[in-house]
Amino acid sequence: MLERRLYYHIDWAMIAGIFALCAIGLAQIFSATGGFTRIYYTQIYGILVGIFAMAICLTIDYRSMADKSHWIYLAVLVLLMYVLFFGVVRGGSRRWIDLGVVNLQPSEFAKAALALVLAKFFGESRRGAITREDLAIAGALTAVPLLLVARQPDLGTAVTLIPVGFAIAYVAGMPMRIIGILALVGVLVAPVAWKFALKDYQKERISTFLDPSQDAKGAGYQQIQARITVGSGGLWGKGFTKGTQGQLRFLPVAHNDFIFSVLAEEQGFAGVLVTLGLYLFVILRALEAARLAKDRLGAYLVLGVLASFTFQVIYNVTMSAGLAPVKGLTLPLMSYGGSSMIATLAAFGLILNVRMRRFTN
Amino acid sequence: MAIQEDRRRITTRLTVLQVASVAVFAALSISFWFLQIVENARYEEMAANNHQRTLALRAPRGVLYDRNGQVLVENRSSFTISILREHTKDLDRTVRMLSEVAGLDVNDVRAIVARHRSEPSYRPIVIVDDASLAQVAAIVARRLDFELPDVVVEEVPTRQYPTEGIAAHLFGYVGEVNDAMVAADESLKSGDLVGQAGIEKIYNPMLMGKDGAKVVVVNSLGREIRTLEEVAPTEGKRLQLTIDYDLQKAVDDGFKVARVARLTNAGAAIVLNPNTGEVLAYSSEPAFDPNAFAAGIDRATWASLTSDDQRPLNDRALQGRYSPGSTFKMAVALAGLQEGVITPDFKVNCVGGANFYGRVFKCWRRGGHGTTDLRHAIEQSCDVYFYTVANILGIDKINKWATALGLGVKSGIDLPNEVTGLVPSTEWKREKMHEKWYAGETISVGIGQGQVSVTPVSMAVYAATLANGGTRVTPHLLKAVDEGNGWKPVAAPEPQSKVEVDHDKLQAIRDGMWGVVNGGGTGNRARVLGFDVAGKTGTSQVISNAGRVAAARSGKDLRDNGWFVFFAPRDNPEIAGIVFLEHGVHGPNAARVARHILSTYYAKKLGKPLPPPPTPQDMQFDFSDPYGPGHMQGVEPETDEPVNVTN
Repeated sequence: MLERRLYYHIDWAMIAGIFALCAIGLAQIFSATGGFTRIYYTQIYGILVGIFAMAICLTIDYRSMADKSHWIYLAVLVLLMYVLFFGVVRGGSRRWIDLGVVNLQPSEFAKAALALVLAKFFGESRRGAITREDLAIAGALTAVPLLLVARQPDLGTAVTLIPVGFAIAYVAGMPMRIIGILALVGVLVAPVAWKFALKDYQKERISTFLDPSQDAKGAGYQQIQARITVGSGGLWGKGFTKGTQGQLRFLPVAHNDFIFSVLAEEQGFAGVLVTLGLYLFVILRALEAARLAKDRLGAYLVLGVLASFTFQVIYNVTMSAGLAPVKGLTLPLMSYGGSSMIATLAAFGLILNVRMRRFTN
Repeated sequence: MAIQEDRRRITTRLTVLQVASVAVFAALSISFWFLQIVENARYEEMAANNHQRTLALRAPRGVLYDRNGQVLVENRSSFTISILREHTKDLDRTVRMLSEVAGLDVNDVRAIVARHRSEPSYRPIVIVDDASLAQVAAIVARRLDFELPDVVVEEVPTRQYPTEGIAAHLFGYVGEVNDAMVAADESLKSGDLVGQAGIEKIYNPMLMGKDGAKVVVVNSLGREIRTLEEVAPTEGKRLQLTIDYDLQKAVDDGFKVARVARLTNAGAAIVLNPNTGEVLAYSSEPAFDPNAFAAGIDRATWASLTSDDQRPLNDRALQGRYSPGSTFKMAVALAGLQEGVITPDFKVNCVGGANFYGRVFKCWRRGGHGTTDLRHAIEQSCDVYFYTVANILGIDKINKWATALGLGVKSGIDLPNEVTGLVPSTEWKREKMHEKWYAGETISVGIGQGQVSVTPVSMAVYAATLANGGTRVTPHLLKAVDEGNGWKPVAAPEPQSKVEVDHDKLQAIRDGMWGVVNGGGTGNRARVLGFDVAGKTGTSQVISNAGRVAAARSGKDLRDNGWFVFFAPRDNPEIAGIVFLEHGVHGPNAARVARHILSTYYAKKLGKPLPPPPTPQDMQFDFSDPYGPGHMQGVEPETDEPVNVTN
């Protein structure tokens, strides 16, 4: 399956970048949780399983995977439905399937499944230009898992599905006119969504974001603390495990949603630049893979997978600095979380897969 | 064609995404640069405020010792329970929980919190001073469970005074500094404990010490993680007082027995060394328990102290003004002798009364004393003798010598808020009343009635000046100070004044006073075998006879005050002082109390066992009413002037 020839086309530089980020994340988890804890080891297992998943996604030709994409997509939808009814409840939402040893979060895998199914849909379209029907079908394919995830409720993860659909449609040639119309609709729908779709705690988060001091002890607390955490880091940081904000729990879930804040506190602006540089490097390498892809399917697949990743990185980093409303959105590759790690590494397996097979038929 | 176009479009759009990614990451980097570099100082400070907490470590106040090195006032550890609002999310929940755990009324706790609401949130609000161990244990257990993370228990040094209010007015008490004091003295800060009365107040700068501070790291729940920095508190300076604990206790035991015997529970006593002015014992009754103030006085105790008719917070020794009665006669005698008006052999024939300026002034002994010289006039307290001498002298000469002996002026003792007594003069009357002094008024003054009023402290100085021969020593309480490197004696303050007194003339007075105790006089109750005690009793009226009739039904205590002025031994005295019993009925009752003091002093001097506290049976106080039937049969004076019955 994995021919010797293909092996030479593996993007080792990108893999190095990915694992450098995993290592930084692991180190900050170590710091934030106080040593070799269960969380630390769970993360290592997550990475190991992720490498295995990545290898699988690398080995199987993405085209044959795309052929099965509708099955994968359906399987994920079934899992999402299952979660809605039988999932494990934590923190008020139903996101996990209890597998005994570990909890699986199907919504993390929905992104790759959606990327696959959309890439296949647009990639195999024989028509030259993209039609409104195409967009409507793509929209529907995106909307189904999105709504299922949003029902959990996990608005954060649900929203990450939108960039998948958008990115693929954009590169597939969605007319600029339609992009403009969608943006306009978005602006018009926002107030309606505010009134009807958002839950009170979600509204609160957004309104506190605009003025954190109005609720300094409640929802605004995390945002203020995030800014203090980042700002107090300075150029070189307070030193590994020497951060006060994260270590003393002024910033909650420091090993998870706010891992980048803790990094900024302990490693300073220097550490931030290095880490952001690594993320940008990985993203640009992935875009390069899209450019080099042998076919549209490959390019779209890379784009779809990359879109949710990039969106999540940018949002989480912005939130880490207290510059965006606090949302339960993890930082891919660094935050604690087995499902997220496995799904992300598997997704990168797909990107590597496309690049590796750029010369095959 | 279509495929190529496809390629080109994909490439273009990918380039757009590339550029966009770089742009977004550049924007993120700039944001972080702004937060971490430009605004770093601001956030660093906020982070420090988050996790560092400065706790004050209260300095123990200086320990007070008696002249023999016995501890009088020390410090003990107590616990305070406070709420630290800094990281409190639900203050009312904390208040409710704390009230429940510590067994407090939730409304009281709310009221305390409300009073301090405007203070900065990092300053703890003290809810319980001097908490019980059960309260502390309950709180600490809850704290460890994270249930009360914003409640802190601190160990603080608290003043520990002798029990039963011994020398309470002397020591005074401590209390939280008020805003005016903080504004006036920049070494004080809000929340400090300062002396509010007595020694604690006057020597507060020495006793206070310097608070330390502890900077600790706390986590988001307010739990202390570790100490960053600790500056130990500096204990206040240790002070050695001139007080002799045994003598002080003898004084207090004397008052106690007067109280137990239901004679009186009010009065004052001061004992001092007449040569140096060192105060050996100092008491004012009724007293209070300074321990009640040590850890913040509760409202009920404060209310009971301030609403008590007996005014236990009032220091009678320093602030009470009373007629000296017959104890004043030595001042008149000395004035007469020194002014050359009389000699010790000057005699007056007492027939039980005498007529001055058309009015009859009675002697306390109805039959009179017959022909009496100065020594016997003092010994027998003959009123007519001193009416006569006072009449010859005139008020201003009496004033001059009474003042020289320490009456009507401040003693200069190192205690706060001393008041001045009054020895009248023609000038005083002209200034205060815009009236001429009538010669007839001088007669009453001759036996320490009328306008004369004295404080017990000034009477003690009077006794000391008679004892040492004219030096008005300054009574003082501070003997030595330990600034951390051993005791350094404090020089005795300079005497207030000094007059040359002819030894023979003074000796006549001393002989008279010796006779009071050791002859057939009124003070024989104060006799101490082997110790030549000299003294003089005084019984002074608190109201005129006409007033007494009018106020008979008011329920007020109208019984006479009893005085005893003493020094010993007669030649080369080493101890002097006074005992004053408010409503003690008779001067001799005060002499009985003085006897216990003097015999304690003498026993201690000889190295013998100290006498046990006296019992009412030992004392045999005289409760007889001098105004009752059989005593004052219709001897009303013509005017409403106080009738001058004094012994």
